[in-house]
Amino acid sequence: MAPSRTSQKWGTDFDTVRRQKLFQNPPTDRTAYPALVEAIKPHIQSFNTILERGGILDHAIKDIGTKVFLDGDPYLADGQPRNKLSVRIRDVFIEKPLLPPTNKFALKERRIMPAEARERHGTYRGRMSVRLEYKINNDPWRDTVREMGQVPIMLKSNRCHLENMTPSQLVDAKEESEEQGGYFIVNGNEKLIRMLVVNKRNYPMAITRPSFANRGPTYSKFGVQIRCVRKDQTSQTNVLHYLNDGNINFRFSWRKREYLVPMMMILKALVETNDREIFEGIVGAAGSKGLQEKQFVTDRLEVLLRTYKVYGLQGKAKTRAHLGDKFRPVLRVAEDMSDEDAGTEFLKRIVLVHLGDGKVTDEQNADKFKLLLFMVRKLYALVEGDCAEDNPDAVQNQEILLGGFLYGQILKERLDEWLFSIRLSLQKWGRTSNWLSFTSPEFKKDFLSKVIRKTNENIGHDIEYFMSTGNLVSTSGLDLQQTSGFTVVAEKINFYRFISHFRMVHRGSFFAQLKTTTVRKLLPESWGFLCPVHTPDGSPCGLLNHFAHKCVLATHNVDVSAIPQLVAQLGVTSKSSASLNESVVVQLDGRVLGFCTPKQARVIGDTLRYWKVEGTHNVPLELEVGYVPNSNGGQYPGVYIFSQSARMYRPVKYLPLDKLDYVGPFEQPYMSIACTDPEIVSGESTHVEYDPTNILSIVANMTPFSDFNQSPRNMYQCQMGKQTMGTPGAAIRYRTDNKTYRLQTGQTPVVRAPLHNEYGLDNFPNGTNAIVAVISYTGYDMDDAMILNKSSHERGFAHGTIYKTKLCQLEEGSQRSRSAKSVQKLFGFAPGGLIRAQWRDTLDDDGWPHIGAQLQKGDILAAWHTVSYDPATGDYVNRDGRTEFIKYKDDETAFVDEVRIIGSENGNEPCQTISVKLRVPRSPVIGDKFSSRHGQKGVCSQKWPAIDMPFSESGMQPDIIINPHAFPSRMTIGMFVESLAGKSGALHGLAQDSTPFKFDEENTAVDYFGHQLKKAGYNYYGNEPMYSGITGQELAADIYIGVVYYQRLRHMVNDKFQVRTTGPVDDLTGQPVKGRKKGGGIRVGEMERDSLLAHGTAFLLQDRLMNCSDYVRTWVCRACGSFMSTSPTVSQYSRRKMGTGITRCRRCAKRADGFEPKAKVWEDGEGVRWTGGDDVAIVAVPGVLKYLDVEFASMGVKMRYKIDP
Amino acid sequence: MSGYVPPTSTAAATTTTSTGEGRSVDYTCGDCNAAVSLKRGEPIRCRSCGHRVLYKQRTNRMVQFEAR
Repeated sequence: MAPSRTSQKWGTDFDTVRRQKLFQNPPTDRTAYPALVEAIKPHIQSFNTILERGGILDHAIKDIGTKVFLDGDPYLADGQPRNKLSVRIRDVFIEKPLLPPTNKFALKERRIMPAEARERHGTYRGRMSVRLEYKINNDPWRDTVREMGQVPIMLKSNRCHLENMTPSQLVDAKEESEEQGGYFIVNGNEKLIRMLVVNKRNYPMAITRPSFANRGPTYSKFGVQIRCVRKDQTSQTNVLHYLNDGNINFRFSWRKREYLVPMMMILKALVETNDREIFEGIVGAAGSKGLQEKQFVTDRLEVLLRTYKVYGLQGKAKTRAHLGDKFRPVLRVAEDMSDEDAGTEFLKRIVLVHLGDGKVTDEQNADKFKLLLFMVRKLYALVEGDCAEDNPDAVQNQEILLGGFLYGQILKERLDEWLFSIRLSLQKWGRTSNWLSFTSPEFKKDFLSKVIRKTNENIGHDIEYFMSTGNLVSTSGLDLQQTSGFTVVAEKINFYRFISHFRMVHRGSFFAQLKTTTVRKLLPESWGFLCPVHTPDGSPCGLLNHFAHKCVLATHNVDVSAIPQLVAQLGVTSKSSASLNESVVVQLDGRVLGFCTPKQARVIGDTLRYWKVEGTHNVPLELEVGYVPNSNGGQYPGVYIFSQSARMYRPVKYLPLDKLDYVGPFEQPYMSIACTDPEIVSGESTHVEYDPTNILSIVANMTPFSDFNQSPRNMYQCQMGKQTMGTPGAAIRYRTDNKTYRLQTGQTPVVRAPLHNEYGLDNFPNGTNAIVAVISYTGYDMDDAMILNKSSHERGFAHGTIYKTKLCQLEEGSQRSRSAKSVQKLFGFAPGGLIRAQWRDTLDDDGWPHIGAQLQKGDILAAWHTVSYDPATGDYVNRDGRTEFIKYKDDETAFVDEVRIIGSENGNEPCQTISVKLRVPRSPVIGDKFSSRHGQKGVCSQKWPAIDMPFSESGMQPDIIINPHAFPSRMTIGMFVESLAGKSGALHGLAQDSTPFKFDEENTAVDYFGHQLKKAGYNYYGNEPMYSGITGQELAADIYIGVVYYQRLRHMVNDKFQVRTTGPVDDLTGQPVKGRKKGGGIRVGEMERDSLLAHGTAFLLQDRLMNCSDYVRTWVCRACGSFMSTSPTVSQYSRRKMGTGITRCRRCAKRADGFEPKAKVWEDGEGVRWTGGDDVAIVAVPGVLKYLDVEFASMGVKMRYKIDP
Repeated sequence: MSGYVPPTSTAAATTTTSTGEGRSVDYTCGDCNAAVSLKRGEPIRCRSCGHRVLYKQRTNRMVQFEAR
């Protein structure tokens, strides 16, 4: 009998036994937490599309196409026929990460697993190669395979060894049992490509932007913009600009440069057309209704058509040739291509590329023509005020640039650049070979070995650079608004933080600098797609959002081949009427399918929706049917159908069929989706939410009873949940993070939402259930401080550990694999040298620290010595007998936890790197930060002895005391409810469901949990009589006491405290340096100074600003008021030019002429004798004052000080 | 494994000891868990499986701290 499959259903219960079993025997069939897989899926699937059949790279190499190069001297225009070399990329292969062939030692296992990449602080990467095809003139194609370096591989993708591994196999591969992948390992760090918000693809957006008017004279602020996306996910933005005289210009940017073309020229180049067709296409068919009211458009159109006449370009061919002539240098087309073909290439590459990029048919050009006409209509409607502008900040007009797609785009661009770089290499070869022809035998010999070889084939390195820095080095800019900040480190501080990285979406760093706050606003359109709670406060607020946990991202296009016919059957015509009330557009992915009446549009929208939910007529469920109804100056009406990838969508229930439907952000604003069942309005609501909590992100869902809290408190909890010292994972032994935190005594919360189980968060406990009393006791709980029960602390409450990994490298930097013979340093004690016993305190025979060694600041971490290779014996010889050390430099005491000896990939080199994991125990101390799950953070102010803690009638003491003043202004009622629920849950042994929106005015939470408490024999309200631990008297008031889940935050005093009496000072100013690391001081700034002044504490001020800072005693001349003219005198009589200790002013002194009394004469260091200048004194000044004096003097400004008395 | 071996050179050798030239130390392979003994300057890999990450074993030295 086969064992039953691992259940994926989870309830509210603790499921202790089930989880224990899952942990002891990880499932061998499938994961128990499908929700977690779902959360990270967009990352993995988007990466998988790169290499799928018909995926990004397949389309990309088609789009790159064939490059043609000519031979002969390009500067010699002799009209000789030249030979053609054509090159193209046939295939791109990326292997799974494997050992290099140079490694002859590992015989069975050639795979490099992700865990090894982490442990070796290396990159998880696979070899990329390209099949390059080339031919000369019309010879048959020949091919060769070129190695393109190693590219980073996403974990659990289709190029990763972990793909399809079961939890038990994952554990064997040293991963978490629930490892989800979705990130890359670069230099031992886990990096992921952050999702980015971009404009919705293939939808012409009406925008008004005042900056448009700055483009030049007659330019207006109006425009229509469309972001066209090719099949390979690269995009090209086209903009139509409205000029005040009625003209329209077409703008695009190509290789980071902007170009403007008259829109008419594009129209005429696309298809063979005439002015009448264009006129009717824009205004409306002749004879249709409403033509008379279209005076505005007709006037402008006349200008448009008339002004275009000056170009004198008749017909499609001539127009294309004109465009080709102008744009051929930037398009980099073959030198022998005709102008007309270049013009065709221009249309193919730049104009509305989503409607056909590869081989563009006439039909596709007609589609482009129609869409362009539609865009013009929309633009005129915008100018006229018939339609409103679209808001690019609303999620309705946005989609998500997924990590895998960006990766694919970069790969494509690199490949394109490389293929074109053959041209440079060819020219170099031509110059050195005296322009031999491509048909010569020399060329055949040199092509692969010299020409191709000289190109930069290491694409892998470029990709790795991108992954490790997040900087995009690109010639085209990839149609993005930023060049850096694409990747982030997936920090594994705790699981909340880790998982949040994958659900995170950024608006773009361009918007971070924007002064306006409009982009940061939470708009109602975001409902159900972006979590309203989960965004950080401060500078990234509203720009860095998180997806609602049920929001899905499309990574593949859905099949829409049936749609055009269905729409045609439902009744559309190709010609539109003049008035929007007569006909509106129907579009599929930015392709005009036709026009119909607004009434019919509604029918089309409703029918398609019914069919798509029903699953009939080949209408896919994931299709987005955006029906925009006619309105009075609202969004431009029509039916806009979207089927492509990078869309967001989310599940809701479709009421007519009572079935699952997916809705997208574009259609949602025009739909009536009831939030809960009672809110359904018959005849209006078409959908209902499955659960109101679907709008929250994973982390926001974990806040218990968040609907009872004031909303900013829930935001704070989302922040603090991610800063908690929790459990980063179970495979902590195989990780080498620079710094990880671990909570030793984590517990599952008594009060939690069922989603907690569904997302498997019990595998990563994040805090401790604490008995919390809300009472003002001892006064140490003032101002958000909390008192910790000392006995709880001693029993391990919130005990934590920090793990730090120190990498000790002998060969700093150079990543290239050096040969074993060039090794210059070795670990260990120098042979023959003496070894001090003191060194052996921490080190073993091998010069590495032993496990468990205690390290203080300055202790030895590893020993090494210099060597040179002796080829005769094959040995490394040390010549100086000196042992050098790598030291532990941190301030805190640490213990050596693990020592990893890291070999090279080739397996034939002696050790050059070790990685030492250190453990720093961190039991809670006064000053450490704690927080409940309601944005109620506090600092531990005392560890109060248990005997002095207040106790209840049953003798219970709280673990934590917090002050009642924490509540009135913050209104975190959820915390009270949690306390109640926790208390009753603990008493009855229940896991309490804390899902928000479960209770209402009739069935209150307080009543529900109050009755549970009552049943357990406790006070209904959760209050208890308590007794003072000090006097034993009953306290006058009953104390609110219950169980609250407390998190220990990672901000600890031991990492922060800063104190200084004396210490390092700045060289230039003599003032104390800043910075905790350097032992610097904390600045007494202007405001602190003001407050001290106001207090009249002049002595304190003097002490801070002078005596403890740059106090200097210096000589000054009272007569001339200068610091700089004073100089020490030299004894006139002693032989050894001794100083006399007397200082005089040189400026006020006169040269001695020999007749003065000897007592009045003094001598300077050069032996010149002076007299006078004796009105000098010592004053105390700030050191910077003297510096300021010097700075002024250097600019010719004299400072004169009046010295009184 | 011999268990705990008291340090041979105790209080007398506070200043210096001479090197054990080429003494080999045991490590654990990161992949197959086999014991690998290495001398100074030897290439880092497991003898049996060729894995490239080795762990240092737990020490037999007495590790004792003042608990305060």
